[in-house]
Amino acid sequence: MPMSEHLSASQPGMPDEIFRLLRDFIYEHSGIFFSDNKKAQLENRLALRLKVNNLPDFDKYYYLLKYDQQASRELRALFDSVTTNETSFFRSPPQIQAFEEKALPEILEKRTAQGEKMLRLWSAGCSTGDEPYTLGMVIREVLGEKMSEWDVKIFASDISEKALKSARAAVYNDYTLRSVPPDIKKKYFLQEGPQFRVCDDIRMLVELQYLNFNDERRVKLMRGFDIIFCRNVLIYFDDAAKKRFVSQLYDNLNPGGYLFIGHSESLHNISRAFKLVHFPGALGYKKE
Amino acid sequence: MDRLILQTVKHLEDLPTLPSVAVEVMGLSRSPDVSIKAISACIHKDPPLAAKVLKLANSAFYRRGAHEIETLHRAILMMGLNEVVNITTSVSVLSSLGPRKSQEQGLRKKFWRHCIATGLIARRIDTRLHMSLQGREFVGGLLHDIGKIILDEYFHDQFMQAHALSLERQCPMFEAEQEILGATHMEIGHFLAQKWGLPPYIADICLHHHHPQDARFKDITSVVSIADLLAKAKELSCGGDTMSFILKDQQGWHILKKMGHPMDSIDLERITFEIEDIGEEVKEFISAISDQEAQEHAHV
Ligand SMILES: C[S@@+](CC[C@H](N)C(=O)[O-])C[C@H]1O[C@@H](n2cnc3c(N)ncnc32)[C@H](O)[C@@H]1O
Ligand SMILES: [Fe+2]
Ligand SMILES: [Fe+2]
Repeated sequence: MPMSEHLSASQPGMPDEIFRLLRDFIYEHSGIFFSDNKKAQLENRLALRLKVNNLPDFDKYYYLLKYDQQASRELRALFDSVTTNETSFFRSPPQIQAFEEKALPEILEKRTAQGEKMLRLWSAGCSTGDEPYTLGMVIREVLGEKMSEWDVKIFASDISEKALKSARAAVYNDYTLRSVPPDIKKKYFLQEGPQFRVCDDIRMLVELQYLNFNDERRVKLMRGFDIIFCRNVLIYFDDAAKKRFVSQLYDNLNPGGYLFIGHSESLHNISRAFKLVHFPGALGYKKE
Repeated sequence: MDRLILQTVKHLEDLPTLPSVAVEVMGLSRSPDVSIKAISACIHKDPPLAAKVLKLANSAFYRRGAHEIETLHRAILMMGLNEVVNITTSVSVLSSLGPRKSQEQGLRKKFWRHCIATGLIARRIDTRLHMSLQGREFVGGLLHDIGKIILDEYFHDQFMQAHALSLERQCPMFEAEQEILGATHMEIGHFLAQKWGLPPYIADICLHHHHPQDARFKDITSVVSIADLLAKAKELSCGGDTMSFILKDQQGWHILKKMGHPMDSIDLERITFEIEDIGEEVKEFISAISDQEAQEHAHV
């Protein structure tokens, strides 16, 4: 058991029935599902919320979420606590390569043939912005001098305010840049002491916004995407929530568009709508 | 220029040959009332071959039971006649064309990795679909591209050109071969398989693994064609064509589906993830066959 999990021992414990209430509450509001064996994890992650709100136990915390005036504000803080924001630039390189060498050129060609030089991407569950900025860099590299002819927008959304705040600041440490090729690092990052800031040319391609995948009405409005990245997000949902959300993503794509999920994730039991594409070293899902 | 290469190959006098015992074993195995004794006696006429077959039968790869298999007779009892004949065929072809210590670098090594991976994946598909191809799918996968060895050996420069062209144009290898050499590795492989008297299904796979629709042995050729693609998707290609593909749109897939195999129940993602670890199995197989070589030399 990791050290951090022990800390909760000094905290008020979380009775099983409160665990279930909280777990269901979180699930209903976000799709994120804590199975029974994740109780210690949830307890640990919410311990800080008790302290911040000066509450003696988890019953009171549940009550706060459910009935208090402050509930909607606390909800955002709750999402910050229960999400895992682990990410990095050029994460899962074979997928980025498949995007760069196969999916993107195919879409560019199609759009060019249609006489409409417009490109719409969505980084769904963008965390601290590493992924959408990576996509921006790749697009710039692929388009080169033709960049100015194209109308490119990368929508990037997340449920965690904290993560979005970092994404807006766009300042990163060396570790999150570990997979960035040296020439890219030189070209698109400004070094500021030990840190690296994403340059404005890339930042202006990315539009960050708060979006909860559970907010069906708003998710439906996300239309007309050529490529959606929703990597390492679905793993936190249960199958029912996955199915709901993935079928929504299908509708959000243009015909011929691609969905990329995490490199070890699968839609096998989740959706039959997409066609599985084998790229060299990576999988993608195509809407026909 | 058309067909020229194929004609040339047909008249090459120094083409590699198959050990005569292997030819005999394959012939024997075709007669319906062949005895275990006759087959094992035949393989024993070529002691190094017999040793290799036993070694492979005992490798992690083929081994079924807990006990070491000490005689060919026992191997046949344990694994069945077909599997032992399959092993004999594989070992013989590999000893005629297979990786030599000196060639373990570069393309040739990649080539055999690709072929072994294709065989292993074909075997997984067979298991998943309960097709009972009895190891023929492995041999078929292993040998599907043997034409490339001949091209590389006798027309090295042109073969390299074709390789470069396929990379540059992102087109299949056989298209580039057709353009530059005027013949494909499928035709050459088919010719060789026939000349060597390999079982007809192997010749069929050699010729049709890129278009299983034209095959006589449609089921096994389809399995190998799918395995071939999956091996490439995992960068286990022999260079050249690393293209993306949609498996469900492939001829082989449609053929198997039409035959009533439960294709939709196959968890393709899972198979693909599992293939990620296949590199280890491939290495194991290679070391099983090259260890023998080393050991043999030690005995001499
Ligand atoms: C592990 S990160 C993945 C980041 C990036 N896509 C990657 O692969 O590196 C998962 C992100 O999904 C977000 N997320 C989880 N549930 C969500 C929901 N219901 N709506 C929106 N975002 C959610 C989390 O806040 C987190 O930032
Ligand atoms: Fe081939
Ligand atoms: Fe092949």
